[in-house]
Amino acid sequence: MLTELFADASLDSVTGMVKPYNKPDRMDDRMRKSDFARLHVPDEHCFESLHHQWSLSSHPLQTSTLSFWDTFEWGLWFSGYLLYRCNNRYSLSEYHDGWLENRLLEEQAQSRRRFWHEFETEAMRKALQSPLGLRGLAMVAEGMFRRQQWDLRNTSGKVVCRLELSSVLEAKHGRTLLQSCQLHPLRGYEKEAQEVLACLTGHGASPCVQHPVELLLSQAGNQPRRYSLRPACGLNASTPAREAIARIVGVMLELAASNLPGMQQDLDTEFLHDYRICLRKIRSLLSLIKGVYPAEDLQRIRTILGDLARQTNRLRDLDVYLLAREEHLGLLPSSFRPALSRMFDDFAVEREKEIHRVVSKKSLSAARRLLDIVSISCNNNELSGYAPAAELPVGPLVFSAIYRRYRKIVKISGSIGAATPDAEIHRLRIECKKMRYLMEFFYELIPADAGATVLKQLRRLQTKLGEFNDASVQQHSLLAYWDQRKPDAEIALGLGGLVSVLYQRQQQSRRLIEQSLHEFCSASTAALFRQTFKLPASASGITVYR
Amino acid sequence: MTIISSYSIKGGVGKTALAVNLAYALQESGRRTLLLDLDPQGAVAFYFRMGSAKKLRMRDADALADGLRSNIRESDFPGLDIIPSNLAYRHFDIVLDSMTKSRKRLRKVLEEFKSEYDVILLDCPPNITLLSENVFRASDSIVIPVIPTVLSQRTLEQLTAFFQAEELPGEILRPFFSMVQKRNKLHREIMAELPLSCPGFLKTVIPFSADVEKMGLRRMPLLAYSTCCEAAQAYRALCNEILSETEPQP
Repeated sequence: MLTELFADASLDSVTGMVKPYNKPDRMDDRMRKSDFARLHVPDEHCFESLHHQWSLSSHPLQTSTLSFWDTFEWGLWFSGYLLYRCNNRYSLSEYHDGWLENRLLEEQAQSRRRFWHEFETEAMRKALQSPLGLRGLAMVAEGMFRRQQWDLRNTSGKVVCRLELSSVLEAKHGRTLLQSCQLHPLRGYEKEAQEVLACLTGHGASPCVQHPVELLLSQAGNQPRRYSLRPACGLNASTPAREAIARIVGVMLELAASNLPGMQQDLDTEFLHDYRICLRKIRSLLSLIKGVYPAEDLQRIRTILGDLARQTNRLRDLDVYLLAREEHLGLLPSSFRPALSRMFDDFAVEREKEIHRVVSKKSLSAARRLLDIVSISCNNNELSGYAPAAELPVGPLVFSAIYRRYRKIVKISGSIGAATPDAEIHRLRIECKKMRYLMEFFYELIPADAGATVLKQLRRLQTKLGEFNDASVQQHSLLAYWDQRKPDAEIALGLGGLVSVLYQRQQQSRRLIEQSLHEFCSASTAALFRQTFKLPASASGITVYR
Repeated sequence: MTIISSYSIKGGVGKTALAVNLAYALQESGRRTLLLDLDPQGAVAFYFRMGSAKKLRMRDADALADGLRSNIRESDFPGLDIIPSNLAYRHFDIVLDSMTKSRKRLRKVLEEFKSEYDVILLDCPPNITLLSENVFRASDSIVIPVIPTVLSQRTLEQLTAFFQAEELPGEILRPFFSMVQKRNKLHREIMAELPLSCPGFLKTVIPFSADVEKMGLRRMPLLAYSTCCEAAQAYRALCNEILSETEPQP
């Protein structure tokens, strides 16, 4: 209940849970949960009508200003939680009806928390880890909650019903957004509670359908919305190829642009990560379905997207190193860690410079301008050159491209073994990524069951390929750091140790890749691909654009 | 769930004042508390501004539990529920007598409320009857107000003798001095001697106090309107002393 906001409960410093049997110093902390629906109270008159039948006495008015926090992806909201801060205390509550009735955890915090691992209590960290992931918390709304409890007494002076009047106000201007009333009947006095309810509804009270936090979010211009890098574009197999691709590109460009403000604030590393994925996906899409745009236009767009992504390469690399800092230090004996920690400090300093460069006003406005150019080019109805597949139905083009990609993967996998050069495995990884993009962009066209089975196997294979690649890239990066900075012997020793561990990890991944490939290229998977994606020989107009 | 009884063979020793204030102190400490008034005089309901209980059907243990449950009323103090008394409780003995295992019935009935309450407090009528025997067998602790007078001393000895004769566990008897007047020489003498011959005496002493008398006018527990008077502090201390001995320490 809202009263919990004001309760001065003692907390367990480890678990963050409210300790049971803590001596409650407020009567309402021990009130039974009400079965009555919360009522919307239109005006004071409605409440005054109660005076005719009962004697009313009030408890002190309590006011509290709350700020609500969530991630860019609304991880908490869509997990059914609300995280709010009040008087240097963070509280996690179940959403329920937005009146913060079911507080789960809380902890004191003098300073702001951004990531789940910055919270002090284990229980809070555990609860937030999954909804937050790598995302940082930002304030999404702020509001003032007022609450006053009233006792209604009969002629003997016995309390026969309690009322909790709550209102939510704008934090800045103090304008009331919502007034509500919650009846708390007393056991053995249910008849009286029904009489109170009848009196209130007879004077205009009605079930409260508005939720206070939703109102505050709306006031702040923050509406929770699902965020996905696999948005639905409303495609079907007969959608003309150019229209389909322009639609996907449009959605992906919007997604890319929506990440720019977060990059600018440097709230978390996922903004840049997703921005780069959007650019890469658009670039890949344009080259995977050929003949849809004139070669000259295509080249120009791909160059723009490539340039944009390249400008953020170093920043992303540094993000990856720094995110893996604790993991990598943990791979070495403790005596090596302080020296190697200095290497990560160097990365952190370099990252500061990089982020300033990437998100400078000039860079971001250039990025926005270039994204606009890509958008205009992809939506331009006037083609500047020959684009033979532009008006063909997209379905056969996509299926043919997926099947072709699968055949290519099978072909490469035939040569994968213990002695295969890293570059060949890297090529296999890129082919798998292209196939994944195709399947994700056009998932609306693919039969759901077959698509799910194939994607599951593909994901498994990509995970192994990704681990192999990460280990490989990280070794090269560490060696490049050594080459450029020529660090002292202590750091070099740590670097050597880390490279050796990463090499072992890479070799392990190689063996696992072989296992996953075996599954992905098996007769049953091949048959599934054939049935789902291979076009009949009669399908015309496809081969030309391979 | 712990069952505590406020009991004395002798009347006018402060049983109901103890039950009412102990119940308040228990809810104040966060324990879900049920106060069951077994005394047909119905003073508990008066102190909590309630009417008397509806008439109970008491033909068997299940009906009695249902009847008691339907008479539970929430007090003005969240966490404290009351089952007021009814004049019909004067027939409790006859009803219990008609049941099998008639001396242990009350415990079984009260077990029905185990999930809802941490403590059940019984305010008992001043006599030794079949109902009293049920209370003795149901209680984890029997708290006995003793005014330091010769008559009170005598009734305490009678009770102890009864427990011995009936082979009841004497250690659950927890007398304490009630309505004590420190200036009274006789009080002082009895207070010095009686605990020596009667083990289990609680250390806390409740003084005679006009504040306690005013409960009748205020119609609420002393602790609800006076937190710092000597008697209020003594009731809280008594509650803590009882809890420290009846509940396992963390």
